[in-house]
Amino acid sequence: MKNSIGILINFLESNLTELGPDARDKATPMLYEVKRVNDNLVQMLAIYKIGNQFYPFDLTENSIDDFVREIVEQNKTLLDYSGIALDVDLDEGLTWYFDYELISGVISHALNNATHYTKDKLRLSVKEEGGELVMRVEDNGSGYPGSVLEAGDAVSKGVNFSSGSTGLGLYFSSMVAKLHKNRGRTGGIFLENGGNLGGSCFILRLP
Amino acid sequence: MYLPSDSTSLFAGKSFLIIDDFQGMRSMLREMLRTFGTKNIDTVTNGKEAIAYLEKNKYDVVLCDYNLGSGKNGQHILEEAKFRGLIGLATAWIIVTAEKTADLVFGAAEYMPDDYIIKPVNEATMKSRLEKVLAKKEMLVDIERAASEKDYGLTIALCDKALASSKTNATELQRIKTCTLLTMGRYDRAQQEFELILAKRDIPWAKTGLGKAAFYKGEHARAQQLFREVINENPAYLEAHDWLARSYEAAGELEEAQRALARCAELSPNSVIRQKNLGELAHKRGDLETAENAFRKTIKLGQFSIHKSPVAYLGLAKICSENDNPAEALQILKDTCKEFESAETSFHAKVVEGMVYSKSGDVVNARKISREVAELVKTDDSHRASSVMLEAAQMFLATGNNEAAENIAQTLVKNNHENAELLAQVNDLYSQAGMSDQGEELVKNSRQEVIAINDRGVILAKEGKLDEAIRLLSDAHSKLPNNKRIMVNLSNMAVMSMRKNGKNSDMMLIVDECLRQVAKLDPQDKWCAQLRVALYALPA
Repeated sequence: MKNSIGILINFLESNLTELGPDARDKATPMLYEVKRVNDNLVQMLAIYKIGNQFYPFDLTENSIDDFVREIVEQNKTLLDYSGIALDVDLDEGLTWYFDYELISGVISHALNNATHYTKDKLRLSVKEEGGELVMRVEDNGSGYPGSVLEAGDAVSKGVNFSSGSTGLGLYFSSMVAKLHKNRGRTGGIFLENGGNLGGSCFILRLP
Repeated sequence: MYLPSDSTSLFAGKSFLIIDDFQGMRSMLREMLRTFGTKNIDTVTNGKEAIAYLEKNKYDVVLCDYNLGSGKNGQHILEEAKFRGLIGLATAWIIVTAEKTADLVFGAAEYMPDDYIIKPVNEATMKSRLEKVLAKKEMLVDIERAASEKDYGLTIALCDKALASSKTNATELQRIKTCTLLTMGRYDRAQQEFELILAKRDIPWAKTGLGKAAFYKGEHARAQQLFREVINENPAYLEAHDWLARSYEAAGELEEAQRALARCAELSPNSVIRQKNLGELAHKRGDLETAENAFRKTIKLGQFSIHKSPVAYLGLAKICSENDNPAEALQILKDTCKEFESAETSFHAKVVEGMVYSKSGDVVNARKISREVAELVKTDDSHRASSVMLEAAQMFLATGNNEAAENIAQTLVKNNHENAELLAQVNDLYSQAGMSDQGEELVKNSRQEVIAINDRGVILAKEGKLDEAIRLLSDAHSKLPNNKRIMVNLSNMAVMSMRKNGKNSDMMLIVDECLRQVAKLDPQDKWCAQLRVALYALPA
């Protein structure tokens, strides 16, 4: 299955250029859909494994520059063809401890989501604030609807969130954040409206 | 601000091997590499082809799919390539996999890939990972060479230098450095390093390292506590399970040890070594059902692995015999000799065969095998493992060949006169055969003999008669080539003599031989590292 999705994404990314503008506009959303299928597959697999204590949680020290560059390049094709500008703001030379695959899964998902709901701008910022790593994905769309904000509050307060259609991604992100612990502190996710671009704002904090 | 990097020059001169069973993936990966500027790319579809290509060619990077259908998987190929020296220290091995497993991430350090990429693979990830891995390889190649040449002083100096100059790969460098300190037996230093790292952050490998240092210092309860803490925070962290089992076993808590091993084998379902360890421990505890199961799995998993081991085959044969199934036991022994064409294994299989016949009441065949084994022992008995020789002694006693049993038992005791566990095992053998008095007498006399020689050597050395002491112990060493105390004393005397008179090829010959022999008996032995440090410090 992973091979199939990989080939599909790669096919779309390398062949969108060869399409005429009309066909390309129609095909670009397919890239978003395939990535969403992939995100969900990754999320379900990880949730299953973490729940059964089989997930090899791999806490390594990662360069934030490398992490961001990889994420941005992964999403470049979709953003370019969707006409969305991504602004990146990070503390250079920063390194942080986290499970690369899981955090990459959370941020990719947030970016892919934001690509779908934004007007034409995205912002990814990664900063150290008060001894924590704070990653923000912001857009200039119309913001999260009330129900999603409530759901976000619920997961961040530790309620077992399992109903509603928006559940999986949030549940996954919150579970991943909480796996990250250091010296008595635990990670978390937060949803807000407003931020730097006036739309929705997804925040991941890691100790 | 990040910049997309231009790295065509980095990739242009490099040679790549792609191993993937899926045509679509092979061509996709090849296209990606071509985009990066690579020209030299080979592709193969399975483990057999991969090994053939690795035997013929040298590659800078191997991109290897994990799941290759039937036959060897990606990890098997990597292990075989490393074990057989088909790839050098500079070759980067990247495993491409659909899912992250504990085996892949927390596997044995010496057989870890340099990186792994989770599918789906895209161009951006591939490029950024390749750049990172190639840079890391280049940075670490000297350090890895020093470590593989067991030049520990240099390894640590190089790590310190690299750590001082840049933050990149700091974790990797700290891991190599602390691991080297443990190998050298410098537990307090290692402990300080781990504590320094842990003061900043809870990191599982550092806490596990702290546990290892405690274990080596004999603080088993503290070690267990640390390993349990790691597992609580990180349930799939294999190394902590392995070490927890080891520290339970060292403390004599075998049931707990088996539970820890079983959990670890469950988390790491493809590990030949863990199944084998579980089988051996369960067998030792008399849990035949678990042992049988584990040995059968070991044999199945080992089919494509360089970790395939006769221990599981012979263990299974013994269990069949204990379960009154001599026919299957004998069949397994036949298979064992076919699978492993080594004199050592066929000797061991013969010993077990004698026990199988003896247990099933086939006295004629038991005696026949017993005589054959006795002949083999006469021709050469110095290079066989003590555990096998113990079994041989047991078989001789069971088949009434007391003289052969006595010879072996004496040799064993003299070669291991300070090994309390082994001495107890020899005593047990004799009491099981209803001959406890003979056993005790034998152990006592043989021990005395070696102690007397050693004492004489030490006294001579103290009196300043170093040459005479070295001659005495050299002579004892050639008669008892596996006695560690003799080798330790002999080497120390040789070093002492070189400190006094300068380096000397005769003395170096003695030390090298002892080092090689002790390392052969126990590859983990810390004494070797300490002796190497002493040699390093000798005036030229």
